[in-house]
Amino acid sequence: MLLALLISNSVGNILVERYHGVPAEERLHWRSFLVKLGADNLRGAKNEELLVASHKSVYIVYTVLGDVSVYVVGKDEYDELALAEVIFVITSTIKDVCGKPPTERLFLDKYGRICLCLDEIVWTGILENTDKDRIKRLIRLKPPTEFS
Amino acid sequence: MAQPLVKKDDDRDDEADYSPFLGIEKGAVLQEARVFNDPQLDPRRCSQVITKLLYLLNQGETFTKIEATEVFFAVTKLFQSRDIGLRRMVYLMIKELSPSADEVIIVTSSLMKDMTSKTDMYRANAIRVLCRITEGTLLTQIERYLKQAIVDKNPVVASAALVSGIHLLQTNPEIVKRWSNEVQEAVQSRAALVQFHALALLHQIRQNDRLAVSKLVTSLTKGTVRSPLAQSLLIRYTSQVIRESATNIQTGDRPFYDFLEGCLRHKAEMVIFEAARAITELSGVTTRELTPAITVLQLFLSSSKPVLRFAAVRTLNKVAMTHPMAVTNCNIDMESLISDQNRSIATLAITTLLKTGNESSVDRLMKQITNFMSDIADEFKIVVVEAIRSLCLKFPLKYRSLMNFLSNILREEGGFEYKKAIIDSIVILIRDIPEAKESGLLHLCEFIEDCEFTYLSTQILHFLGIEGPKTSDPSKYIRYIYNRVHLENATVRASAVSTLAKFGAMVDSLKPRIFVLLRRCLFDSDDEVRDRATLYLNTLGGDGSVVETDKDVKEFLFGSLDLPLVNLETSLKNYEPSEEPFDISSVPREVKTQPLAEKKGPSKKPTGLAAPPTAPVSTVDAYEKLLSSIPEFADFGKLFKSSAPVELTEAETEYSVNVVKHIFDGHVVFQYNCTNTIPEQLLEHVTVVVDASEAEEFSQVISKPLKSLPYDTPGQIFVAFEKPEGVLSVGKFSNMLRFTVKEVDPTTGEAEDDGVEDEYQLEDLEVVAADYMLKVGVSNFRNAWESMGADCERVDEYGLGPRESLAEAVSAVVNLLGLQPCEGTEVVPSNSRSHTCLLSGVYIGNVKVLVRISFGIDGPKEVAMKLAVRSEDETVSDAIHEIVASG
Repeated sequence: MLLALLISNSVGNILVERYHGVPAEERLHWRSFLVKLGADNLRGAKNEELLVASHKSVYIVYTVLGDVSVYVVGKDEYDELALAEVIFVITSTIKDVCGKPPTERLFLDKYGRICLCLDEIVWTGILENTDKDRIKRLIRLKPPTEFS
Repeated sequence: MAQPLVKKDDDRDDEADYSPFLGIEKGAVLQEARVFNDPQLDPRRCSQVITKLLYLLNQGETFTKIEATEVFFAVTKLFQSRDIGLRRMVYLMIKELSPSADEVIIVTSSLMKDMTSKTDMYRANAIRVLCRITEGTLLTQIERYLKQAIVDKNPVVASAALVSGIHLLQTNPEIVKRWSNEVQEAVQSRAALVQFHALALLHQIRQNDRLAVSKLVTSLTKGTVRSPLAQSLLIRYTSQVIRESATNIQTGDRPFYDFLEGCLRHKAEMVIFEAARAITELSGVTTRELTPAITVLQLFLSSSKPVLRFAAVRTLNKVAMTHPMAVTNCNIDMESLISDQNRSIATLAITTLLKTGNESSVDRLMKQITNFMSDIADEFKIVVVEAIRSLCLKFPLKYRSLMNFLSNILREEGGFEYKKAIIDSIVILIRDIPEAKESGLLHLCEFIEDCEFTYLSTQILHFLGIEGPKTSDPSKYIRYIYNRVHLENATVRASAVSTLAKFGAMVDSLKPRIFVLLRRCLFDSDDEVRDRATLYLNTLGGDGSVVETDKDVKEFLFGSLDLPLVNLETSLKNYEPSEEPFDISSVPREVKTQPLAEKKGPSKKPTGLAAPPTAPVSTVDAYEKLLSSIPEFADFGKLFKSSAPVELTEAETEYSVNVVKHIFDGHVVFQYNCTNTIPEQLLEHVTVVVDASEAEEFSQVISKPLKSLPYDTPGQIFVAFEKPEGVLSVGKFSNMLRFTVKEVDPTTGEAEDDGVEDEYQLEDLEVVAADYMLKVGVSNFRNAWESMGADCERVDEYGLGPRESLAEAVSAVVNLLGLQPCEGTEVVPSNSRSHTCLLSGVYIGNVKVLVRISFGIDGPKEVAMKLAVRSEDETVSDAIHEIVASG
């Protein structure tokens, strides 16, 4: 299960936050844990360089892209390798939508489209689509190229 | 919230600096959402408003029920628009709002229309939304469409239906299970993602059907799997099948091993890892099987990607626990990971190295770790300290450098848990490696000179009191201990006083000087400290004369309080101040076993200073009170043990009866707890007729019937038997409940005058050997075993015949003897071929018993055991053997 997807700006303010199967009372704890993890380790990290951590039986993969930091949290079958796959789809899609590693402003300008992309990538805790070109078509309600 | 981040050039438009959502406010956005109701919809404007709503929701903002309903109704109006971008937004918005059951109805017709639409993408999205918001009843209506969608030509539609199936399986399994033919077809799909989703769903549908999963795996491992994701799933399912099917013993071939080994050469890293992990986790994996997996993992250790390094070192760390030798080849690569930027990777590398390292590499390793320790968090440090502890026990000759390392990190900054881990490690090393004792004690002494944790100070002082007097020069510790009396809080001061007294008791030459110090403590500001000083001065004979401390005093100072503290506390609370002093021997010793769930803590390792587990409040006192209130039982003496209640009736019968066996030296009392569960009946003159013909040594002496047993008011019947004193008499008793029934008028609650005599057969009851045994644990079995001595030891070997597993054999013997398992030895690690179980307890007549049993199992599950019993009385040791021999 993909437990959480979180996108924050460079000072740790939340831009997107989605949880699946995480009780409401634990979400705040997760949010501050992830933001602190990013603050401790993401400074000086290169764009899309993947960092990894584990906490008990839960895995966390996170990265920085332009002005935003992206965190994904998973357990069981979503181990560090599966999460790396998920975060790769997310970052490449965001880059695609924004045209480059986004500034915070650019990210917010494209906010609606990014939400649609995330909806195509992760659906209630399960990875659904992995190809950025296909996702780009799907959010415009166009069938994938291999089919049309 | 979003803020301007970078100072932009002045000539640029000011607005560009700010977030498009700056100053966004829920009320205003909800107002804006009214545009959804416009007769002429502006799709662009509507999309913007939805984006704002999404932003609010993603920030953790919540809508009240009324607000959510209003927005939801407004959003449904947008189905009228033909704009494709807006429609996609609408789908997302409905999912985010997750409307309540009574609102869903508004939108279902629109979604049903989309679901049968000719536009594929409408179908796919409508399926996703519908499955998110529907309930079971609607699901049966749309089931037909979903089944079609699973085999739809368009992969997006098929995936949408399959992923919906995965979710719906949690809530409506019986419906989703009907789709297995379609899902089976989708597994053969040429679209990679469809195959992945179909495989996941099919496995979940069939997960309880071993044969079906095995068939699925067999067919797919021979066919083509199109995506690395699906291939990874297949590997997982394959290892599940391998676990459940036995290895072919004759040829030694493991089914599917070739498939796993082949996956190690896959082009996707994900698949390679999955295969390597699956191989390392095979039960009873051989070195030949393991080698190719270790080789690929070793390559990943030097990968440039942190995720791959992490995955590799994490897997190797696990392998090192079971097959340390197999991992040693990777040690050089692993050492370079100690300086890895990522602390999780570095810690895993170190703990792996500590498990696989050989004696010669210890010093080099310790040097590297020292540099590393300063910049990791406490939680990682604790892991390292625990690994070092086990390394030191493995290579006792290296204690010097490891002890130095521990004492160095002890001086550095750190939280309580971390310091406690270090102290525990030092204590364990002192206990297990005699050479390490003196230096270890001095490190502890230095630590308490500047220790901010009261708990740790008192624990160390207690430990010093036991170990310090046995060293070659006990006097050097006194200064550290007495400093505490000046510098610390009352709790630590009181501990220091006790420690000083122990030195005084054990080392005669120090006694006069200890008395001087103790006398100074008589003027302490705290009464506990003063009381202890007074007590010790008196017991040690503090008149200044150098006399040898007698045995009783030593026993008082050093003897462990072999009573469960909880029992002592309850007895003290029950004690009413009177002429008669409190008698500590009246405190029950029975440790109530804790529920199994609590015992099975995942990470409960024995720690050096941990106190023996505390027992929950016992019911023994309650029984004792009850029995002592019955004059007939007054001359039976002291109650030795009361058993747990044994049910004598099935659940939900007319009369519910259970029995508690109370064991006295020369008597046994059965306490029958009866409940009448029929409102229309009143029972009178209720007795239990006990037939003891299969219990020859018992003869009935007293029966105390119950006058009346009204509905739902429990009552007790007692039957007492005499038996030979101090003898382990066993036997079987059959029981019959006999009573007079009177009808009760349910309206008035009054019983009729006339009753009918009746009987009710109860289950049989047995008195077994375990009933004569008290479960009393010891905190340190080895010490207890050695101090008991081999005078009354009895050793013999027994064959237990074929058994299901070693664990089953161990638990059978433990239950048969009814003794307290010590140090967690009742738990048998899976796959072990031998096991030693330590038991302790008190036999009737207050004779302490210690038992050490070594079990072994061979191929055809034949279990044999060697039973060694030590006790204070050889006849008792023999009796224990007899129990086993006849059980």
